[in-house]
Formats: sequence, structure tokens, C-alpha cells
Amino acid sequence: MSTPVLICDDSSFARKQMARALPSEWDVEVSFACDGLEGLEMIRAGKGDVVFLDLTMPNLDGYGVLETIQKENLNAMVIVVSGDIQPDAQARVQKLGAMDFIKKPIDQEKAVSILEKFGLL
Amino acid sequence: MTNQLITEDQRDCYQELSNVAMGQAADRLAQLLEAYIILPIPKINIIAPCDLHMALSGVDSEDKASSVCQGFIGSGIAGEALLIFNDTSFSDLASLMKYKGELDDQTQLELLMDVSSVLIGACIQGIGSQIDVSFSQSHPVVLGQHVSVANILQDEHTHWDQSLTVEIHYTIENMSVDCELLLLFTEDSIAKLNQRIDYLLD
Repeated sequence: MSTPVLICDDSSFARKQMARALPSEWDVEVSFACDGLEGLEMIRAGKGDVVFLDLTMPNLDGYGVLETIQKENLNAMVIVVSGDIQPDAQARVQKLGAMDFIKKPIDQEKAVSILEKFGLL
Repeated sequence: MTNQLITEDQRDCYQELSNVAMGQAADRLAQLLEAYIILPIPKINIIAPCDLHMALSGVDSEDKASSVCQGFIGSGIAGEALLIFNDTSFSDLASLMKYKGELDDQTQLELLMDVSSVLIGACIQGIGSQIDVSFSQSHPVVLGQHVSVANILQDEHTHWDQSLTVEIHYTIENMSVDCELLLLFTEDSIAKLNQRIDYLLD
């Protein structure tokens, strides 16, 4: 069965870049969300077993999404993909339950190595 | 607010490139200050520079501020970076930079130059590296200390009709440090920038 993957980013350019970085051999069903609220809805609907999550977004940012996932105990493996590369930002999202952190601009090798690390490929 | 000079897809792409560049710049500043920089969503506008003070969301045009500007150019793309510090920022900035002694104009100027060299340089190079342009930077120029934001902006840019403007409003967590970084690309640069953006969008 295909893995439901959610790409949550307010930039359509960034969503496309992320989608392109996913390895073609990975059997996935990709959905897109353009802010945190929409992202949460899709996660609740089971469309985000694996989530690539941006941090700076309108309405609800990535931190808010992570907090809600923890609070509601939602089933989602979250990998944060952000331009905020401050070590503090990485520490904060890891504390909030994110599995890993990819710096923007995305490079495919990094994405693949993280997916392999967690046995997703 | 955009107009026919850039499409919505292009605006989105400029915003994302700015987002990445601003994050790289903030990371450098965070290391310098040992503080956490709060990142906003960058704003992209096509606007006449003389109207800029009305479009800014991060600063009040009547606020007293100090400002530095620095030109950049590469591959036929030119512009100016403007860093505007609200004057209320300097006492916290001085403590973060571990400046001792009186916070006079000279000290404030040094703080302003130190921070601007980090933020402006990293942001310009961050955008350049993503669109494969190597920007050369001119020397920074102080536009004024303790003057209203409206004055800073009106005196400086009356010679271009339109510019592509990136507005980034940086704040520092738990501190009253408040600054606005503006990148103004000249009207003549917009078509060349768009070409490079379209290549990324393909």
C-alpha cells in the first residue's frame, strides 16, 4: 500500500521542490497543504503518515502543528523542512516531536538519507 | 500587492528564495548575538520607492530610526539593501553584543554597522546563490541616525519609478530589538530576475 505523504508549506514553489526531491522509487500518495490548519486537517484525515513540514507559515505555523500533533496524539512522522536554520529552531522542533530537520533549499540526497535512516525506503 | 511586472508564481518564488536567504542571515546573526531571531514571512512588493514608507508593516514611519544602505550588483541585476533599526533597539542590542559604557551615537553607529554587515551580506549572498548570481557589494553608507523612517525612505530613493521590494522584519526573542531589512531591486533588473526565477519554476 502507498504511504500517505503530506507536504505542508505556504509556498507553491517550495511544495514543488519538496515533491521533486522525493525519490521516484518510493511508493507514496502525496497530498499538499498550504498552511498549518489545512495540514492538520489532512493529518487527521490520515493523509500524512509522513509529513514534510515548513515552519514559517500563515494561520498556524509549523510549531503550532507539532504542538497539536502531540496534544491530540496524532499519527504522523514529521520531518521539518525549513529556511530557519538556527540551531535553536532545530532543537525546538525536535523537542516538539519532529523526527528530523532538513535545511532549505532542499537537496535530494539529504532527503533520501533521512528517509533511509528511518527505514521508510 | 503586485502588478503586471511579476506573476503570482514569480512572487511566490521570490518569497521562498527570500525566506531561505533571510534564514541564512538570521543564523549568522544568532551566532553573533547568541540569541534566537524570530523570522517573519517575507513580503514581496512592486512599489515606487518613494511610496515605500506607506507599505512597510514592521515599522511606523514616524518612529525614530537609524539606517544603513548598501548597493549590490551582479549579472545585470542591481539594487540596494536598506537596514532600518528602530532607535529603541540599541540598548538591548548593546547588551547582546556585550558593549560596555555609554550608549552614545558613536557606539550606536558601530552596532549598526556590525549588524548590518552580517545581515545584509548574508541575505544578498543567500539570494544570489539560489539564482546563480554572484553579487558585488558597495561600501555601506549611513543614511541617518535618529531620524524618522519616512525621512530615511523619502530622501533616498526618488530616482526609480518602480522597484521589486523584499521586506523582512526581524525581531529577537525576549528583546526589544526591532529591525527592518529591505532589498530594493531596480526596475531594470526585474526582467532579468524574472528570467532566472522562471528557470527555477520550470
